[in-house]
Amino acid sequence: MPLTEDDLYRTSTQYKYWSFTSAQLATQRETTNLQATERVKANVARQRAARARSQVESANTSDAGSGVETGGNTPLHLGAEKEVNCLTVAEEKKLVDTFCERALELGSFLKFPIDVTATGIQFLRRFYLLNSPMTYEPQTISRTAMFLAGKLNNHNVGIEKYVAKFPKVTAEQVLAPEYLLVQGLRFHFQVRHPFHGLKGGHLEMMEMARGNAAPAPHCTETREELQKAMLALPKHARGNPQPWTVEQMEKRITQAYGFADKRILKGPAQLTDAYFLYTPSQIWLAAHLLADEPLTLFYLSTKAPPTSPLHEKLLATLRACAALLSAHHTYKPDTLSAAEKEARDKLEKEQVSALIRKLKHCRDPDKMDLVKLNAAQKRDAVRADGELEESVAKRRKVQREGFEKQADDFWGPELKKEANGTK
Amino acid sequence: MLQSTRSPASTTASSPGPDGPTDLSQQINDSVRHRFVIDTRPGHKLGEGTYAIVFSGHYRTDPTHLVAVKRIKKNADYHDGIAPDAFREIQFLSELSHPNIITLHAVFSTKSQTLSLVLEHLPGGDLEQLFQTPRDQLAYSASDFKAWALMLLRAVAFIHASGILHRDIKGNNILIAADNTLKLADFGLARAFAEPGRNMTHQVITRFYRPPELLYGAMHYGAAVDVWSTGVVLVELCIRDFFLPANTDVEQFHVVEHMFGTPTEESWPGVSSLPFYNLSSAPPKQAQWRAWAGARLQMLGGDGLEVVSGMLAVDPRRRWSAERVLRHAYWGNEPQMTRKELLPRVPGKGGKKKVGEDLKRGAEGEGEGEGRVEKVARKLDFGSMRN
Ligand SMILES: Nc1ncnc2c1ncn2[C@@H]1O[C@H](COP(=O)(O)OP(=O)(O)OP(=O)(O)O)[C@@H](O)[C@H]1O
Repeated sequence: MPLTEDDLYRTSTQYKYWSFTSAQLATQRETTNLQATERVKANVARQRAARARSQVESANTSDAGSGVETGGNTPLHLGAEKEVNCLTVAEEKKLVDTFCERALELGSFLKFPIDVTATGIQFLRRFYLLNSPMTYEPQTISRTAMFLAGKLNNHNVGIEKYVAKFPKVTAEQVLAPEYLLVQGLRFHFQVRHPFHGLKGGHLEMMEMARGNAAPAPHCTETREELQKAMLALPKHARGNPQPWTVEQMEKRITQAYGFADKRILKGPAQLTDAYFLYTPSQIWLAAHLLADEPLTLFYLSTKAPPTSPLHEKLLATLRACAALLSAHHTYKPDTLSAAEKEARDKLEKEQVSALIRKLKHCRDPDKMDLVKLNAAQKRDAVRADGELEESVAKRRKVQREGFEKQADDFWGPELKKEANGTK
Repeated sequence: MLQSTRSPASTTASSPGPDGPTDLSQQINDSVRHRFVIDTRPGHKLGEGTYAIVFSGHYRTDPTHLVAVKRIKKNADYHDGIAPDAFREIQFLSELSHPNIITLHAVFSTKSQTLSLVLEHLPGGDLEQLFQTPRDQLAYSASDFKAWALMLLRAVAFIHASGILHRDIKGNNILIAADNTLKLADFGLARAFAEPGRNMTHQVITRFYRPPELLYGAMHYGAAVDVWSTGVVLVELCIRDFFLPANTDVEQFHVVEHMFGTPTEESWPGVSSLPFYNLSSAPPKQAQWRAWAGARLQMLGGDGLEVVSGMLAVDPRRRWSAERVLRHAYWGNEPQMTRKELLPRVPGKGGKKKVGEDLKRGAEGEGEGEGRVEKVARKLDFGSMRN
């Protein structure tokens, strides 16, 4: 018996480390925002002070004027310095959502299967729970996140080919934050998606329509009775029962699947906090609820008796999840008019460009160049390791016994082994 | 000049000092690392493989709770960032929780950006050591065999139920705990089941354990590959030697055909359209498995032989699943399996580590810088020498 999606989810790192209540999420985001804000302000102040000092020096030593506006994206206003205007928690979240949307486009541009793209997007969302876009610029991180998702899920395009797809992006720029990213992910790389569950549910509903579905243990109905009930479902929520042929019902089920899959799971489910707040099963069921409410409610009733308190609770959760998904600006039910759609998109665009402009003025000056930062970190570490290596070597000399020496000779020094470590 | 000083690149990049602020994720990492005490003294390491050095350690709060810390070496040949092997091991082990699968307690990194995996400490050696130990030093019975086989099959069935392929099942990836429990380890080649139609690499699984569909170059395969490898391991455990050793991929091909016969469209529908089918033997070889197994695998008994034959079905679609194997009457039949605490152990393993262990392992021929491929080839000489 394969384990069910829910069994797998319960032991997953997603459940253990990356699922939250909305209160927990809000607290975490506040902490992250607060820390980043303080740091941006401190680092900008430090830079301004340094610049002021060097200006004074250069004014003293050379001609005036050459020291104006040096360094960074934080223009120096002579006289009273303006306090840096940092992003709020809500603005940070909006920015991350935006870059998730762009990552979704990037994924289809890279021709990644949706689960690989969706993994990259969740990497991005998880990373920005512990980090602020003010500290690490989201466009850079999203390229790295997508590259990592591909590498981990059998879609390693190779770094040279990958960067060739972007104008003016170097391999170094993509690889430098990789380590930062995996640490931010707390080394959890497996993301559980709702796609598989939706497909399974879809197939099951098709079997019910055809009268082939084995009823669940609690179910007193036979498969024929299930089929009969299904073929009398109302068309809309709160509508009256009406007759369906098997073919018509199959078409309806397929349509619901298409809507849930394309318009929700591959859209709002990726671009909201759905993965943090709900299980993969809840997400696909909520998407299906938005797609076809009577059908989904019927399906649920075959799983748990509608009279059970569990059913009540599950439904409330699904409705909350559906509300979250349908509130996203990319959710466009068929009832939305073209003019409404356009207005929505325009508003979204304006908000986003304002945010991106704002971000330019509140970035952490210490974290602008991740390539340099990464090199510096490695350099520091090598120095630290080097010292360690020395003291180890000394101790080794004193302690080593005959057999150990032989063993070491046989194994060879560590570094050489590494270099030869053929795959 | 003005231009260059304006650019963000002119900011001095430096990592935060010891008292400087650190990222939240850095803080989490540091606290994870602090939970363990690791013995990195030279001469005290638990072992070393191609990809990693393994140190012993323990929980800071509980010195009796031992762990093995696997520090991943930097792979200088890999240019696309951090090598995926270590990631894969972390990716899959983090999700799996089963008594017969090695537990990954934690992962952390050091300043120099090396990854360390904190694994369950398994001091009892591995299954390959078990069958390689001379009979006069380690005797085991059909009851012992059954107990080991069951633990192994449970691990394989579990990973398959979880939608994961191991793709490197072999004796020395099956480790033994202090209480004699077998644990499947080394998930560096694992992957999730693939959707139909997605191509997969056939360059996986150490050669001796590679199933026919991979030898014939199948682009798509499933859980059956691991079942074949497991079947080979079980036969090795019975005959206390390598079962299908070969020097090259082509030779492997012939060794398998020699034992199981050349597959035909009748015995394996679809085989003739696999990429390397044209390399198979002409004239076709006759299977000698039944006769050979009857003579060499007495340890299995009739029911056990049925099970292992099912696991070694050449056509992957006819090969038994791990779950089917577990449902077979063999496990409940006589002889009853040995209770875990009474199982024999690899001599010198399980207690305190013997000095010079590394050297001994080295003398068996694990030369420096060998890759997986060469290592496997070397095993052939070792095996054939004793045939
Ligand atoms: N969990 C563990 N507990 C105790 N010892 C271990 C553990 N894991 C590994 N070791 C020891 O460390 C050695 C190296 O392990 P590792 O998995 O890195 O490499 P390997 O499997 O021997 O070689 P390779 O992966 O290169 O083929 C093992 O042979 C074993 O002796």
